[in-house]
Amino acid sequence: MSNITKKVSWSSRGDELGAAGEGTPLLNGSEQPRHSRQFSEGGSLFQIGRLSTVDLEEEISAEEEAARGQPREIPHNEKLLSLKYESLDYDNIENQLFLEEERRMSFTGFRCLEISRWLICGLIGLLTGLIACVIDIVVEKLAGYKYEAIKQNIERFTEVGGLSISLILWAVLNFSFVMVGSILVAFFEPVAAGSGIPQIKCYLNGVKVPRVVRLKTLVVKVCGVICSVVGGLAVGKEGPMIHSGAVVAAGVSQGRSTTLKKDLMIFEYFRRDTEKRDFVSAGAAAGVSAAFGAPVGGVLFSLEEGASFWNQMLTWRIFFASMISTFTLNFVLSIYHNNTGDLSNPGLINFGRFESENLNYNLYEIPLFIAMGAIGGVLGALFNVLNYWLTIFRIRYVHRPCLQVMEAMLVAAVTATVSFTMIYFSNDCQPLDSEHAEEYPLQLFCADGEYNSMATTFFNTPERSVRSLFHNQPGTWNPLTLGLFTLTYFFLACWTYGLAVSAGVFIPSLLIGAAWGRLCGIWLASIASAGSIWADPGKYALIGAAAQLGGIVRMTLSLTVILVEATGNVTYGLPIMLVLLTAKIVGDYFQEGLYDIHIKLQSVPFLHWEAPATSHWLTAREVMSSPVTCLNRIEKVGTIVDVLSNTSTNHNGFPVVMQVSDNDEPAKLCGLILRSQLIVLLKHKVFVELAGSRLSRRKLQLKDFRDAYPRFPPIQSIHVSQDERECLMDLTEFMNPTPYTVPQETSLPRVFKLFRALGLRHLVVVDDANRVIGLVTRKDLARYHLGKYGLEELHLAQT
Amino acid sequence: MGFSGCQQKSPRRLVMSPRGSLLFFILFLINIYAFVNCDAGTSLASGEQVESPSLAWYPSSPADSFVPLSLMSSFPEDLEISNYCLELLGLFSQRYSDYVKCLVPAARPVRVCLKCYSGYGSLLNAYTNISSNQMGPGNESCRDSLLRSDRLMLVYVLFSNMQDLWEKSNCDFCITEKFQNVNNETLNFMKNLNQTLSCFEKYQQGNHTELCKNCKSSYKGLNELYSKMEKTLCIDVEDAMNMTRILWSKNFNCSLPRDETVPVIAVSSFMLFLPVIFYLSSFLHSEQKKRKLIQPKRLKSYTSLMNIQDKQS
Repeated sequence: MSNITKKVSWSSRGDELGAAGEGTPLLNGSEQPRHSRQFSEGGSLFQIGRLSTVDLEEEISAEEEAARGQPREIPHNEKLLSLKYESLDYDNIENQLFLEEERRMSFTGFRCLEISRWLICGLIGLLTGLIACVIDIVVEKLAGYKYEAIKQNIERFTEVGGLSISLILWAVLNFSFVMVGSILVAFFEPVAAGSGIPQIKCYLNGVKVPRVVRLKTLVVKVCGVICSVVGGLAVGKEGPMIHSGAVVAAGVSQGRSTTLKKDLMIFEYFRRDTEKRDFVSAGAAAGVSAAFGAPVGGVLFSLEEGASFWNQMLTWRIFFASMISTFTLNFVLSIYHNNTGDLSNPGLINFGRFESENLNYNLYEIPLFIAMGAIGGVLGALFNVLNYWLTIFRIRYVHRPCLQVMEAMLVAAVTATVSFTMIYFSNDCQPLDSEHAEEYPLQLFCADGEYNSMATTFFNTPERSVRSLFHNQPGTWNPLTLGLFTLTYFFLACWTYGLAVSAGVFIPSLLIGAAWGRLCGIWLASIASAGSIWADPGKYALIGAAAQLGGIVRMTLSLTVILVEATGNVTYGLPIMLVLLTAKIVGDYFQEGLYDIHIKLQSVPFLHWEAPATSHWLTAREVMSSPVTCLNRIEKVGTIVDVLSNTSTNHNGFPVVMQVSDNDEPAKLCGLILRSQLIVLLKHKVFVELAGSRLSRRKLQLKDFRDAYPRFPPIQSIHVSQDERECLMDLTEFMNPTPYTVPQETSLPRVFKLFRALGLRHLVVVDDANRVIGLVTRKDLARYHLGKYGLEELHLAQT
Repeated sequence: MGFSGCQQKSPRRLVMSPRGSLLFFILFLINIYAFVNCDAGTSLASGEQVESPSLAWYPSSPADSFVPLSLMSSFPEDLEISNYCLELLGLFSQRYSDYVKCLVPAARPVRVCLKCYSGYGSLLNAYTNISSNQMGPGNESCRDSLLRSDRLMLVYVLFSNMQDLWEKSNCDFCITEKFQNVNNETLNFMKNLNQTLSCFEKYQQGNHTELCKNCKSSYKGLNELYSKMEKTLCIDVEDAMNMTRILWSKNFNCSLPRDETVPVIAVSSFMLFLPVIFYLSSFLHSEQKKRKLIQPKRLKSYTSLMNIQDKQS
């Protein structure tokens, strides 16, 4: 039995390598044969080597040395783990400095800390809300100018001829806005691309994504979102709010900005990963709540995405931040709309009120909703598959910033062109209605007093289109218009996501779903007996929107609550939940959620909730990295500098042992020290020889470590003279004397659970005499995943 | 306590059953005293009622006898409506029917504002007289007695219907204050409208292209005037414009033709072609990004999946 499994998984490695070449006919095209040949050669040779050398250990290692000498290169694929991602240090380092500080701290000190946590959460909410306001107002203004200009132009040219000039004007306007946004993202801060939700998910999972919570990222993100929404791309401004909230949280909680070189000397206690990560989850929640007016949904989002480290007080604080954020947005927008105090604009996207009589639903409609959920799941999976191939192509071929900018500009121009063509050839004319006044009605070739109904969906910001799909009365669109719109927007949105612009996928998904949902509603109304009003298109538009969004992002609990809160009607809880449930089940059958795909394609060592099934036979001994670079308790400075400067290893944590033996024999463990700590120690020259003179100097405190956080200088910037290299450093005081350890026979799921639940970064594997024989890190665990043919292993790669 | 004559105009008549009398008693207590029952003597029948001192003026009679309702009697004087109020009511009735008579023929094409504004003005006037707090000659107010004495509140409902109609049709925007006259803007519009319509009439026969060409300027002028007018317009203007537009666009088919299809298709296919070129060229010319694989450090005897073999054996 086990025999078979192993054989299968063994062969799967071959398949996996081959598949990268074969499975991408679309992308590799003519070059395909070459790749796959190259590939399978390297791959199979390697494997055969390994396979055959089960009992010839010496030879294997020789061959592997050779392989290591000239690293293999493969095209980017999803089965890689990138070296550039590191883990966050969620675990508290209980060294002597820490104990000392805790002793010094009074009871009031702890009280103050608690109060300042609340204060920070309030600030996070406030600032996130304000950022949302800025985005909303600027987008509204700029889009207003743009559409007004194009509308006038179109009106003029409809009469005298030359509509192709209007088309070019529209394309050029989109083009230029998107160019600005895309240049900002591609050249200044690539990590601000996309919605930012995958990145925040990774951060909350415990992965340090480089530069993800910096001020510069925030600025680029905000400007980029404004540009891409105004530029008419098929995107929304809601997803980026979550990222923005997270950056705000990370910034505020530190009380300083390294980018601006400003230190307010407050909140110094919170300058470590543990505290920062808690605040970041509050910021993400505040972002969700500002985007959708859904404070509870925000809290649940943080819970769903980063739930490993929760307690009741943290949840309560996060809820506080969410509430403050939605209230701030509400209040400022009420001032902006000249009715101060009217708190009816809770989020960036406003679904409007679902309260009319015929928006009630009946028991017999539930199966219809579930069927729509299934459609949403299928369409969502299709979206994700297309986007997956597109993203792989982009990573492999469109990786230079200037190409990325060009691509974004092309998408913008094509979006404008397609929209214009659709509007131009649409024959669907509807009478102007004073109640549902269209923002920018376009007449074109309609009779006077009528407007082109295709233009209500295309010639508008996506948020407004969603709202009009939900709320315009039956008969506003004819089915052909909606069908064409769904089709084009589906492909546009799919093409747009993953460009080097900052933009979210929530609104486009809602829009696609609302369009086909409304189509379903119209169809149902036409087959239902005349005079019945249960098949209200607006209601089905909402259900369709939920199904499509659920099918694409595959969020469950939080998305249900977000949508319920955004509609403001609790009775929709059940249908929305059922729809999302179905969409997720159906979608997962084909393909993962969009965010998970992007996390995978970024080669992030992401730890899921559980270790892959069927991995109990793997033990820590097989999982761990070995041999481990250890340091002595009293170590020569030269050795430390050498270890730290070794670029090929770039380790971050070093077990401290009693005495490193020369011949790689395991030595007894007595603590663990981090790279960042060593760097601070080197910087302050805490050498044993200088201990005498250090009496005059003050003793190193925890504050010194915090001051260097989070951007510890690289080892290259620390100058150590030749004399100093001969000095010794005593690590006893600084190391974590009680690191978590496991015996070497521990199974993978057990190690995994420990890692996930405690937020560990390093887990030392020891033998029965407490001697270090290996070290398990996040990448060692994340490499295993359950593929089609059983357990597969991901490769480590330099990216 | 005497009975006054039966009032022809009394709006209500109540036929009371034995149970109804109790209801009546309650109604009475809550001060609904404008209750005019012309046939109190016969329709009201309840033994208990007699004991109630406040209702002493109801003669008791057998419960089961129903007398034709046209036989009416009156209420005592202090419950009766004064002549002054009756006069007001009469005036209201007159004006109301005049206004309705004016409205109905003006339904299509809609001219409810322009034709009947004076009727509404006088109706409003009559109603204001009734509803005002002002005391009449006998130091009495007709407001309570005419408007609020019963749950039907006929006068009020009738009037508020008309008021709704007036407000819905936005007539205030066409009429000067105090319902004196049609305002200048509307007059101007109507003048233009007539010009346009007469132009339509002139060229209606024969080829419509002729009409489209010749009436274009006056139609354009009308359209511009219309869009320049205030945001809210009275229904007459709106409807007139709608009708003219339908005539113009649908009947005479003077809408703009879609005659630029070729350049639009050309430009858009050029645009759509660009990404194809872009992706092809970046696929062919851009060098594929390669990832360097890194061999992780492992226990030598446990390199990767080799242990599988070990475990098997």
